[in-house]
Amino acid sequence: MALTKQNKKRVPLVGPALALVAVLAAPAMAAQPDGETIIRNNCLACHSETGDKAAPFSRISEQRKTPEGWRMTINRMQALRGAKISPEDKRALIQYLADNQGLAPTEAEPYRYLLEQDTNRVEEGIDEGLGQMCARCHSGARFSLQRRSEDEWKRLVDFHMGQFPTIEFHSLARDRAWYDIAKNETAVELGKNFPLITPQWNSWKTAPKADLTGRWRVLGFVPGKGQFDAWMNAAKSESGYQLQLEGQYADGSKLSGSGNARVYTGYEWRAALTIDGVKMRQVMAADAKGGEMAGRMFPAAERAIGGELRAVRDQGEAEVIAVMPSLLRQGESAELTILGQHLEGDVSLGEGIEIEKVLERDDDSIRVLARATGSEGARSPSVGSASLEGGLSVYQTLARVEVVPANALTRIGGNGGEMEKVRAVYRAVGYSAGADGKAGTEDDLRLGYMPATWSIKPADEVAAHDKDEDFAGSIDAHGIFTPGDAGPNPARKMSANNVGRLTVIASVNDGDAQVRGEGSMLVSVPDFVRRVLD
Amino acid sequence: MKLNTLVKSSLLAPMGIAALMSAAPASADQEYLLTVTRPGQLHVIDMATNKVERSCDIPGKFGSGSIALAPNGKTAYVLSNMTEDVYGISIQNCDITFHVAQSEGNIRVKSVQSITVSTDGTELYTVQNPVRHLPDRFEILEPKLAVYKIADGMGAKPVRSFPVERRITKIAATETGEVILGGGDVTAINTQTGAVRMVTALQNWDRGPLWAPPDAFAMHSQGEQTNEYLMPYSTAKFEDESMNMETAQWWWGMSRVNLTTGEAERMETVPFQFIVFNFLTDPRDSNILYGSFNTLSKHDISKHETLIVHEMPHTYYNLNISGDGKTIYVGGTSSDISIHDSETLDKIGSIQLSGDMTTSDLRVATIRD
Ligand code: HEC
Ligand code: HEC
Repeated sequence: MALTKQNKKRVPLVGPALALVAVLAAPAMAAQPDGETIIRNNCLACHSETGDKAAPFSRISEQRKTPEGWRMTINRMQALRGAKISPEDKRALIQYLADNQGLAPTEAEPYRYLLEQDTNRVEEGIDEGLGQMCARCHSGARFSLQRRSEDEWKRLVDFHMGQFPTIEFHSLARDRAWYDIAKNETAVELGKNFPLITPQWNSWKTAPKADLTGRWRVLGFVPGKGQFDAWMNAAKSESGYQLQLEGQYADGSKLSGSGNARVYTGYEWRAALTIDGVKMRQVMAADAKGGEMAGRMFPAAERAIGGELRAVRDQGEAEVIAVMPSLLRQGESAELTILGQHLEGDVSLGEGIEIEKVLERDDDSIRVLARATGSEGARSPSVGSASLEGGLSVYQTLARVEVVPANALTRIGGNGGEMEKVRAVYRAVGYSAGADGKAGTEDDLRLGYMPATWSIKPADEVAAHDKDEDFAGSIDAHGIFTPGDAGPNPARKMSANNVGRLTVIASVNDGDAQVRGEGSMLVSVPDFVRRVLD
Repeated sequence: MKLNTLVKSSLLAPMGIAALMSAAPASADQEYLLTVTRPGQLHVIDMATNKVERSCDIPGKFGSGSIALAPNGKTAYVLSNMTEDVYGISIQNCDITFHVAQSEGNIRVKSVQSITVSTDGTELYTVQNPVRHLPDRFEILEPKLAVYKIADGMGAKPVRSFPVERRITKIAATETGEVILGGGDVTAINTQTGAVRMVTALQNWDRGPLWAPPDAFAMHSQGEQTNEYLMPYSTAKFEDESMNMETAQWWWGMSRVNLTTGEAERMETVPFQFIVFNFLTDPRDSNILYGSFNTLSKHDISKHETLIVHEMPHTYYNLNISGDGKTIYVGGTSSDISIHDSETLDKIGSIQLSGDMTTSDLRVATIRD
């Protein structure tokens, strides 16, 4: 009997460019005197004033974390410790703590996926020892996005022990002196890797912060609808910015919305907009000059179904931001759209690319019919004096297709149950072989997203035997995978539920040929815990 | 590590006990199967008729369903109130005769399955894991073995206590005045002096580099029909020093402690082919083991062979057996106990309970006339 099958039934079971800007003052970072007052009024029933100016409040002053990190802690203070705090005070306190005890952009950078709620990825770069000790219940990013004194890392271990008394009895814990290791080794290591005081934070804390007011050229992707480009206007409001967004999808249909944004720590952009009736969230990081932001946008109700988001501020300068699609097959004519702002002057798509016809042209978008004749490789399209380095790739043969995400986790749901289904969205990325002519090597040229036909098959023999492909879910033409219904399924062996393991296949046309790429999908049981950060 | 990941997904479940005097099963004895269901009932099942004879309400929030038995089989000691309290409940009339609240003041004390009763029935032992709740932090205190006099009844306080290792789950009293402590290793503590001796080194075994450190875990250990304490473990034997997981042999093993003598045997039992949550020895033949989880299985350890694998309709953490060795009861997890013939493992009956057993024990109390 195969182990995997036995297991499965119970698996409860987890780049911006730079722009020149006038840097304005930093209102968000100026110490808000009432942050400390909020702490005094709400937290001192249990926490104490230390008398130490550098760390005035016990437990609170010797940690730094993201706005979501602070929200999570304060949520726990309310839910488990019995703290009382009004919603207004809580918002202001999170703002104050994130601004004054946050992470520098470079500290948060490697782990932004967690803030962006992009959960379909296998974490890389988390030390194996730390992974076993600390990243088996939650992500490694959860703690990598915190900075603490060594004592605070130790107290965090004690919190875990007190809160989760069986933590040292779990598999991967009971085979070792878990508590002793966690407190005397892991916490010490974390104190070294993620210390409270760092040069990055010291310099970011005092650096002037950019004002993000203005008109932003926005490019993004909405699953099921596709790529879009838009203008987003950000006007100052009391707590941040008021937003207005107008644009169109690649198929010409319009999108429009409005909402609000807050900026934490001088660069952490968090926006809530209603776009065509759907509540959406934006999580982006602004660069130091406030000229560009990058991150992810997703529906507030379904964070799994999101897409990349980029915004470039209008600073009166010509700028080419993207070419859609970003690839052109040698010898073929295709329609391309150059997206940017203040696009005036001659249009070039790069060496050897003939613009057969300009189909439509205005200030921020130029649609052309183009044909590539030259050699394979990256081109830098330009309009007037503005160009985008490597913005377009010419290729001869599509050498391979990568399915992203490579590993996805979805969850059965619905069917009258408490939890909705957790879906996943797939996209196909094309590559040409590069100079060595071999696919899968370092010099492969990333061509960009390509349209694909989507299908699923069982991941292996056990999955095939259990007919996972019939029960676990289905994928639509947009690459959106919808898992099966929750609950036991009498049609399945032993009335198992609809969990399963699948391979997701993208088939992409390349001339008359088809190139396929595969990703792996685990369809798991519902997860009843909603976390601020996984 | 492959083994660990494998076991992880199945054993992650949150976390009962007893040692009982053994005697030759005599036909005049009355056997009762005991288990606990949510929200908090102790069920007394007559094993002659397989009917629930009595359901006693257990005070407090559900614990883990851990049960320890008085040697005369008449009182069940149940871990309740989120594993902080122990109640002694008469299985004959549901009277509550004993209560310990381990937590006191700002010190919260939990036991992970660890309760047992001395073989003379006068003392109750728990392993305590205390945490001091300070205003803005938790302080983790050293675990200890606490000794209570059963005669102290309601509100009993410890009469002695001794420091023990962390990570102790199931414990069992021996006839030699010790308590077997199942943790990373199997050790025994003298209940008068607190002296601890190694019974079976597991986490600290010294078998050379070719044997992977074992993953030992006793959530239940139902040894009352054989007067033993059974600590299962899984391990792997590598072909050579390259430690290749793919070519390694994966084994189930156990430390089996004779509760009369306090002596143990440790051995690899059968190849690891599927997950077993609990093993049980046949009272008639110590070479025959039964196991439960997603399957009910029968094994001959003298030949290192799995004899029968019976697919179960859902997961059952737990199992126990009649004194004559003929009937197996498979329970835990859900709300039904599945009854099987030990010869063929064929299902011969079932008992429906009022709630889920989850992690609860499935124990046999024998009342002798
Ligand atoms: C009713 C008592 C109580 C109140 C009120 C309270 N806390 Fe706490 N706090 C605790 C306890 C107990 C802990 C340690 C256990 C834990 O981390 O949950 C703690 C821990 C913390 C920690 C450390 C968490 C970590 O991850 O290491 C922070 C930060 C904190 N509190 C912030 C606050 C803030 C901010 C407030 C006010 C909004 C507050 N607390 C109000 C009791 C309280
Ligand atoms: C048994 C599972 C488990 C393990 C193992 C575990 N954690 Fe956690 N951890 C949790 C849970 C659950 C929470 C959420 C607590 C809450 O609700 O705020 C958490 C919260 C956290 C937080 C956020 C606390 C805050 O308020 O800022 C950090 C940081 C963290 N864990 C780090 C670690 C580290 C470091 C380790 C290893 C020493 C570790 N965790 C091991 C389950 C675990």
